[in-house]
Amino acid sequence: MTMDRDEQELFTATVRATVAGAGSAAALDAALAELGWVDALEVDPRTAVAALFEAQGELTATSSALGVVVGAALGVGVEDGGGLVLPTIGHDDPPGRTEGSCVPVRGLGLPGLLDRSRATVVATGADGALHSAPVDVAALAPTLVAGLDSDLGLAVVDVECVSTAEPWAAAEGTWDEAVAAGRRALAHELLGTMRTMLRLAREHALERIQFGQPIARFQAVRHKLAEVYVAVEATEAAIDAAWQDGTPASATLAKVVAGTNARIARTHCQQVLAGIGFTTEHDLHRSIKRSLVLDGLLGDARTLTTKVGAELLEARTAPAITPL
Amino acid sequence: MDLDEFRSGLDAWLDEHHDELVATSHDPGDLAADMAHLSKVKRMTFDAGWMRWGWPERVGGLGGSTLFRAYLGEALTGRGLVEPGVYSMTEVLAPTMIDHAHPDVAAEMVPKLLRGEETWCQGFSEPDTGSNLGALACRAVRDGDVWRVTGQKVWTSLAQHSQRCVLLVRTGTTEDAHRGITALFVDMDSPGIVVRPIVTMHGREEFCEVFFDDVVVPVERMLGPEGNGWTVAMELLPFERSTALWHRGAYLHERLDTLLATAEPGALSASEVGAAWAKLFAFRARSRMTQHRMASGDKLGPETSVDKILLGTAEQTIFDLVADGLAEDVVLGDDAESVRWRSEFLYSRAATIYGGSSEIQRNIVARRLLDLGADR
Ligand SMILES: Cc1cc2nc3c(=O)[nH]c(=O)nc-3n(C[C@H](O)[C@H](O)[C@H](O)COP(=O)(O)OP(=O)(O)OC[C@H]3O[C@@H](n4cnc5c(N)ncnc54)[C@H](O)[C@@H]3O)c2cc1C
Repeated sequence: MTMDRDEQELFTATVRATVAGAGSAAALDAALAELGWVDALEVDPRTAVAALFEAQGELTATSSALGVVVGAALGVGVEDGGGLVLPTIGHDDPPGRTEGSCVPVRGLGLPGLLDRSRATVVATGADGALHSAPVDVAALAPTLVAGLDSDLGLAVVDVECVSTAEPWAAAEGTWDEAVAAGRRALAHELLGTMRTMLRLAREHALERIQFGQPIARFQAVRHKLAEVYVAVEATEAAIDAAWQDGTPASATLAKVVAGTNARIARTHCQQVLAGIGFTTEHDLHRSIKRSLVLDGLLGDARTLTTKVGAELLEARTAPAITPL
Repeated sequence: MDLDEFRSGLDAWLDEHHDELVATSHDPGDLAADMAHLSKVKRMTFDAGWMRWGWPERVGGLGGSTLFRAYLGEALTGRGLVEPGVYSMTEVLAPTMIDHAHPDVAAEMVPKLLRGEETWCQGFSEPDTGSNLGALACRAVRDGDVWRVTGQKVWTSLAQHSQRCVLLVRTGTTEDAHRGITALFVDMDSPGIVVRPIVTMHGREEFCEVFFDDVVVPVERMLGPEGNGWTVAMELLPFERSTALWHRGAYLHERLDTLLATAEPGALSASEVGAAWAKLFAFRARSRMTQHRMASGDKLGPETSVDKILLGTAEQTIFDLVADGLAEDVVLGDDAESVRWRSEFLYSRAATIYGGSSEIQRNIVARRLLDLGADR
């Protein structure tokens, strides 16, 4: 089951308009429910994920859809997906540890967690088995944080002991598959932030006059923008290859490429926009902050790069990738 | 024939003929041996049909998707059966001949290139004209039914082994810039041509100086009409950045694989290996999309500059790993494997120079893809 090309284009445009029209994460969550985005996620996951997360990245909008995407791979229902607790910045292990009756949980709540009554926690035991359970949000004592990107509405969860009314059930699917689904989504969202940064820097380069000419005439400026263009194109390609392939390994690579290239975009676009881009009167800072946070979710580029390299060194071989 | 059929058929054939197809010498200094081996592999793959798929029937091909060509080169370079640099000339020059040569010339000549009976070279760069190709000065003057060519080319890869050359000459005035350029298909045994090989820093006579003194070229050997040379060059360069680069990506994958199997534990840093792997992944992902666009009939253009920039970066990152991880071999080793690593490391430095330098590619991206307007 999938959508045909026309349906994909129409769906993508609709999602984009929905993201643009929603003023808050809660409004976007509601609008996506109405639109049937979750059904689309089942029918044509690539189109659904690309449409929503690229639009979120481009427009620095947000929702709790990342939890739905990760949760879907673990058999967590839609209702509870948005309340899924993610690993905190710089981590990619399940946020909970089932060690006896007391489960410590350390992670991040997505936008809107505080408005929910129920969250979903995924935990591993000493034997590596994966469990999940619905948990009272109050029991997680989430703290809303402003942090780097206060528009995002993330909540920090850090509790020593959570007990649940329902027992911890074995989770469907594997954590690797769930993280992979999340990484593909985040790679799309990072791509969206990069596109916006490039658009803003390009417009500025054409409009800003110095030394009697648009700064877009200066090769130092042109080459920076060209590098960002290459970074955007490379990220698109890496994401495409990750969907073609479908394994956790390629999803990780797509996230690495997106995170690494997002840094290139942030650095060069900030430099081209210079003073005005350093103010809150210009929109650039939003994309910069958003992209930094997104890089940190489900494993940042630096950590994952080292991890991927260590796996290759261990295997002493370069596995087949990107078949024609 | 579809791609899966082609792939499995070719793989089985390559397995079966591996011993005949594998190069016996791996001396990077011995270009003649490489060329002889390349001819043999091309002849065998042509006679077995594989080399003919993806090329039009009017030049001896069997038709079908250009993806067959992409896969054939991937398999040959990825298995280490041919060196991608010398193999690439086919993908660069045959499409140009098919698009621009007189149909009879293309029908007569292209099969010789495909079957490895001939080697061809590309005479663009001159001593005073590298990046600024539009200023080239090698002159051709019309004399009845022939052109008379006088001037010099430089860094012409494989010229000393070539029977023909796709040559850019000035037929208009220098002020005409790119409008006064014509492309010719020249026999390298024509009287008046002198070829002097140049030893590169990687220890190979990879390219040459080529001198032309009143060399006669029949007008039927023009590629397109007079003054069409710039168009030929602009349409040729994307080929240099598409299928040939996909093949190069397969070769880089094989080299990285061998490096991982060879390097002493602890010699390579995990973060650097991971970064190189991610770059190769992104490059191959991009090049894969380009192969599919080409196969669907899209005309390739400036967007292939992105492929070239990514290839240059990926290749140099991988061979920086080699230089660090196999430092003793690269610096001191005189055994065959070390000599090869050293040569390949050094050659990787050219990846951001040939086929248009990375700076020129960025100029193209800025002008044509980002639409930033003229730079002066
Ligand atoms: C291994 C190898 C094989 C080759 N094979 C062939 C071949 O078969 N046929 C052939 O015709 N040529 C061949 N070449 C030549 C190649 O195409 C040229 O070297 C290349 O185009 C650059 O020209 P150049 O060396 O004269 O450098 P230059 O043009 O002199 O450039 C020198 C430096 O200045 C920079 N630069 C120049 N112009 C600009 C600009 N406008 N903006 C910013 N920076 C600029 C360049 O990027 C470079 O870093 C080969 C080269 C190599 C290394």
